[in-house]
Amino acid sequence: MGDEKLLDIKNLTIKTGSGRVLVNHISLDMEKGELLGVEGESGSGKTLTAKTIINLLPENLSWEAERFQVLGVDYLKADPKAIKSLVGGRIGYVPQNTGFYLHPMIKIKDQIADGYVLYSKSSIEEALARASKLVGAVGIKDTERLLNSYPWQLSGGMRQRVNIAMALMNKPRLIIADEPTTALDSTIQKQVVDLFRAVNEAHQTSVLMISHDLGLIKYYCQRILVMYGGQIIEEASAGDLFAMPKHPYTKLLIKVIPSLNIKRGERLEEIPGHVLEIGKPRSGCVFKERCSYRQDICATEVKEQSLDGFHTFRCNFDI
Amino acid sequence: MLNYLYKRISHAVEVLLLVSIITFAVLMWIPGDAAQLILGSDATPEKLAALRSALGLDRPWYLQYWDWLKGFVSFDLGKSYLFGQDVSTLIRQRLPVTMSIAVFSMIIATVISIVLGILAAIRKNTAVDYVSTGLMQLGSSVPAFWIGMMSIVYLGLELQWFPIAGYVPPERGFVAYLNSIALPSMVLAIGEIGMLLRTVRTSMLDALSQDFMDMARAKGLSSFTIYFKYALRSAMIAPSNVIGLQFAKLVGGTVVVESVFSLPGIGRLILVAVEQRDVFLLLGLVMFITTLVIAIALLVDIAVMFINPRIRVEMQGE
Repeated sequence: MGDEKLLDIKNLTIKTGSGRVLVNHISLDMEKGELLGVEGESGSGKTLTAKTIINLLPENLSWEAERFQVLGVDYLKADPKAIKSLVGGRIGYVPQNTGFYLHPMIKIKDQIADGYVLYSKSSIEEALARASKLVGAVGIKDTERLLNSYPWQLSGGMRQRVNIAMALMNKPRLIIADEPTTALDSTIQKQVVDLFRAVNEAHQTSVLMISHDLGLIKYYCQRILVMYGGQIIEEASAGDLFAMPKHPYTKLLIKVIPSLNIKRGERLEEIPGHVLEIGKPRSGCVFKERCSYRQDICATEVKEQSLDGFHTFRCNFDI
Repeated sequence: MLNYLYKRISHAVEVLLLVSIITFAVLMWIPGDAAQLILGSDATPEKLAALRSALGLDRPWYLQYWDWLKGFVSFDLGKSYLFGQDVSTLIRQRLPVTMSIAVFSMIIATVISIVLGILAAIRKNTAVDYVSTGLMQLGSSVPAFWIGMMSIVYLGLELQWFPIAGYVPPERGFVAYLNSIALPSMVLAIGEIGMLLRTVRTSMLDALSQDFMDMARAKGLSSFTIYFKYALRSAMIAPSNVIGLQFAKLVGGTVVVESVFSLPGIGRLILVAVEQRDVFLLLGLVMFITTLVIAIALLVDIAVMFINPRIRVEMQGE
């Protein structure tokens, strides 16, 4: 099991109680030490996929899959307790910064350490010493004061660093970061992703980073999945994806990244049309309504193509 | 903090003054007075007039009010003509009864509401939720006197589990004391559970849907930690306020239950004072209850402040 896959998911489908399909037969895998980026617009299904891995799918949704293994634990067979301790003990979750993921009425020191005490079988003092070290590592100077603060006494950037430190407490083998840099200013954004990279290099920790910021993912990830309408429409190494994007949606995404040398009066690029209404029964390509290469065949079927076994995309053409 | 207390207390003084003026005015306005009460309905007008001037009842109302107010600020609530005793003595004798059933019913109601409220929220839309929702609707819609009489018939007379009337002070045996207040406390509690249970359930549901609950689950914490450390802490603010208000209401008179169970409490004293037009007794009771309700409300607000660190820290920063 030395080279076991960290994530091995085949044909994951997520549905609402009324049967609407939100994530449609996606497969993904991750190797140890890998930095994987998942890119997509809001509603593309990327957050739901991540939430399935950490067993936090909202109650009204259900998932099914042909294979679903995380760090060697088979979610299709394992009992809930085993999944719970896997998620708590070996996976770190860094949430979106826009929400309030720290309890407003509990001091940081009383919520940063409880998971560590439980899974590392350590005393509260040891846990706090580790918390203090990690909080220092994420760039906070007065760690003592921070640990004795309530979350609402901190700025958004500080709170997100606490979230990251909290995710690192149990020396996780996999970190799932869901838009970890949203609503942070750009200097802190870079600090945050640099921190992930440092943890990755130091401990071979794998990071699954979800973001709609393609620029950030390009700078940071080795491999990128592009999601649209509940499907993975393209998957490639970061270099390949930017050098020769194959799916029309990916091409457009790369084109619309605003560059710094925009001329005065120049229009920003945009992708025509709207994000498709997820969950509607449909056939053929998920992107057909907005695609300028669309032909009749796209309405009924879509081909899965592979360039070299590693770069795959779902399109009927090779443009 | 001191600034806040000062504001609240000065506001309370205003309320008390207003309540006393209104109560005094109403009591002056209705027919019948203390002289009539003392001498009975067949007294001659001359005798009445003599007693009125002896008691000072023939003076203008504002002078009488002023005298009463002077007494009130030095904790002298005047004398009850009916009992021939100080009003404060009468209140002191009866307060333990009312306090006992108020405290015990609040304890019962709080424990049941919190346990069922949490369960109803965690197991939303299951049997537990439906049963507790049903219970709370039943509790708040069935009148207390009916539940009281039914409990006397079944739990008191038929099963003989509890005495059906009277009050035993704790110095005459603690078990006998608990027994004597058990039924009335339970009957009162049933009425209080409805509102409280609903509040606990709603704020627990709200807490469970917060982002920080996702985080607690992602950390793989035990259900106990998740529900009690994380959810309940933020879910307790609204119920604490409700508990305080309900308690204040109970202390202010449990007229129906005290009557049904023949308990010599504040509620019965109010009833007697109204029936017999005992002006000073009634005035004293109204003022006493108003003061108590204001004081409890203030204490509850302060307590809630201490539950919520945000307010606490801001107070210290002042």
